[in-house]
Amino acid sequence: MIRCIAAEWMKLKHSRIWLILIILPIISVLIGSANFFMNQGVLQNEWYSLWSQVSLFYGEFFFPLLIAICCAYVWRLEHFNHNWYMIMTAPVKRTSIFIAKIAVVSLLLFFVQGFFFILYIIAGNIIGLSTEIPGELVGWFLRGWMASITIGTLQLALSMRFRSFALPIGIGLCATIFGLAMYIAELGMFFPHSLLTIGMGVLSQSGLSSFSEHLQFLITNILYILVIGLLATNWLRRTDIVA
Amino acid sequence: MMPIISTYNLSKRFGNTYGVKDVNLCVEEGEIFGFLGPNGAGKTTTLKMLLGLTRPSRGQVKMFGKDLTTNQHWILSQTGSLIESPSYYEHLTGLENLRIIQKLRNVPDKNISEVLKIVRLEKQKDKKVREYSLGMKQRLGLAMALLSFPKLLILDEPTNGLDPAGIGEIRELIKSLPRRFGMTVLISSHLLSEIEQIATAVGIIHHGELLYQGSMASLKSKSEPAIILKTRNNLLAKEILTAYGLTPLLKENSLALENVSDDEVAAANKLLISRDIDVLRIEEHKKTLENIFLELTGKEKCL
Repeated sequence: MIRCIAAEWMKLKHSRIWLILIILPIISVLIGSANFFMNQGVLQNEWYSLWSQVSLFYGEFFFPLLIAICCAYVWRLEHFNHNWYMIMTAPVKRTSIFIAKIAVVSLLLFFVQGFFFILYIIAGNIIGLSTEIPGELVGWFLRGWMASITIGTLQLALSMRFRSFALPIGIGLCATIFGLAMYIAELGMFFPHSLLTIGMGVLSQSGLSSFSEHLQFLITNILYILVIGLLATNWLRRTDIVA
Repeated sequence: MMPIISTYNLSKRFGNTYGVKDVNLCVEEGEIFGFLGPNGAGKTTTLKMLLGLTRPSRGQVKMFGKDLTTNQHWILSQTGSLIESPSYYEHLTGLENLRIIQKLRNVPDKNISEVLKIVRLEKQKDKKVREYSLGMKQRLGLAMALLSFPKLLILDEPTNGLDPAGIGEIRELIKSLPRRFGMTVLISSHLLSEIEQIATAVGIIHHGELLYQGSMASLKSKSEPAIILKTRNNLLAKEILTAYGLTPLLKENSLALENVSDDEVAAANKLLISRDIDVLRIEEHKKTLENIFLELTGKEKCL
């Protein structure tokens, strides 16, 4: 398993995916900050108001998009140049191959998430916010990351199944909109993309208050990852490989 | 001795037609087994089933005496392969590609320098594979297959797309593998000449069915010369010769006699003349391996 993850990591060398991972958070923070700056008359809650703007663009569009691109890229490597044969004839479990991809994507998303939060703090300082940085930040960070792994697992499964690069990304964007609808319908706890909305306090910063809500959040994420992962690896074990 | 590969009624159905049907393959240790067949005969599908890439519709695969479905992991660790065309990550260098396989197969560093030397890619190892020529990619693919110095090597058309010099080089390399590293090689090709120069045993597949399997020597022994007789009345001549104890085959406008001695030919000639049948020609035809192959696959007309 460790060998699979290491191999997966090596494949990302010299790759241009880094560019996407850096640019999309920057764009989110730039647009969000500009929005905040222009509308300071209405947005008077300092860091919290800035977060509402920045996280809106990031959590509801650029981050899900980034996850989808990242996952599509990771599988595109295998869809090209007959690499399916190479990984499938290696003496490793097929399950390990999928899990290794989840691990690598999760690690990348952790960096992206960290980078975004640093950008947020930098932006706040440049704008000249005087109050303390919100304490909820750590929770937003970790829960956002958790939900992003769930979305990542879903996107990995789609990108494994479809050779097209764009199709799973398109499905991902539709899912983002569907997630918003689920959130508005107060069913947000049951859909990956709305879990991200909830987890990062995008639309409501009151967030998850009770312990049981946190537990429910965690369990739903884990359930999604397990179920999608099982379906995906099951398909991987049974399918006839065509490269 | 236990065969390295044995399959039992191995079949793969695509819809209503069989891509591979009841193939009983047997590859012994140390052989270079040439798997021969026209394009679309079922070679790649068979090889993919040996590697667990494709699930058989019916039948069983045994490798190293073990069942593939229950020992796939171990069997793959003993097997190197190159299917269809080489696999590679084009944004990485040749060396980095080998490092990925090294990780997946858990083999020591020295294997990398060794295989690079074997396929002569040492100088290009730091170049991105995107910039490789087709021949270099093919050699990299071979290096990847060899990296763990497996007991069994499965190569699907490894000389596809190479220039004649490259083909010769790869051929010599493959030929040396059993001797140098004790490997068993299963190599597929649609070119008879290719297999003829390299293989010690051969299997011929056509329309998904294994038509012939045996040593190269016994296939070649089939190419003994035949005597072609042309007479004024071939039908009658056939009857007479059959009654005499020979087994003539009626061709378009002649009779063919296989495995006959000079004396028998002379006797047959005399007999026909005595029965008042004019003998127009007696010729010796040497059957080439090519003819045998074409006869087996029945492809004379559409090559």
